[in-house]
Amino acid sequence: MHASEAAVLEAHWGGGAAPFGATWQKTMMWIFIVTDGLLFSGLLCGYGFLRHIVPVPWPHQSEVFSIPFIALMTFILITSSMTMGTAVTAARLGDGKRALRNLIFTIIGGLCFLGCQAYEWTHLIEEGARLTGNPWGPPQFTQAFFVLTGFHGSHVFSGLVILIITAIRTSMGKTPAQGVEMAGLYWHFVDLVWVFIFTLFYLL
Amino acid sequence: MNEAGGNPYRIYRVTWIILLVITVAMLAAEAFHLPRFFLIVFLLAFMMVKASMIGGNFMHLRYERPSLAIMVASGILVTSLILYAFISGETHHILERLSN
Repeated sequence: MHASEAAVLEAHWGGGAAPFGATWQKTMMWIFIVTDGLLFSGLLCGYGFLRHIVPVPWPHQSEVFSIPFIALMTFILITSSMTMGTAVTAARLGDGKRALRNLIFTIIGGLCFLGCQAYEWTHLIEEGARLTGNPWGPPQFTQAFFVLTGFHGSHVFSGLVILIITAIRTSMGKTPAQGVEMAGLYWHFVDLVWVFIFTLFYLL
Repeated sequence: MNEAGGNPYRIYRVTWIILLVITVAMLAAEAFHLPRFFLIVFLLAFMMVKASMIGGNFMHLRYERPSLAIMVASGILVTSLILYAFISGETHHILERLSN
């Protein structure tokens, strides 16, 4: 390749050192979040379609789920996002103690959320909810429930693993502020997905 | 992040309170059995407000370069719309053909 050709390619497609004004780690994290967001977007679209085509009435959510309990789960997740945001800013400002304290609060919130989800799943399975059928009507109802909340729960679990590793490394002074920020982006994404599941599956 | 030299953590508390208030409003709308059309519009609008607040304030998208925010928001929104249109139209058609 001639030097002039390379210069043209670089000028048109190189993007510079930071095309989005962000570090490559943050840019890659955002690209990952977009692709993961598309996974949930596909699942929610599939859920919408299933609900649209079932010939029998879709069960009323408040007759199946305890909505106040789901509201409590939402409260826990939103609160953990607030503590995560505080941890990110504290890490950026060099306040390691505050960052670690808020990371621990976030981990506790995540554990509480997963505990609530495990309780909800157990309760529904005891009442007869299966992937192949349920006592409330169309099997698609529990299929959508288990797939959506299961995928989301697995993300919460992996987020917790990332947070625990980040907290341990922060306590040892080994995590740079950007490491906390990356963990935070992922955790907020998990919260963001719940906003959609909460509204589209539990309330509508 | 630290706007006008104020408390850098305040934005998270304010966002947290607003998110909680919106969530309570959504639960109230569902509990009071608003007419279905109004309920859908109300819940979807507030869902998008909550998503914007989490993306903008918690994930700091409002502080990033607009190109990054546009890449994220338009990528997910446009693909979701296309995906839903494809699923609800084309898949229905395929299922009908398979069942005949």
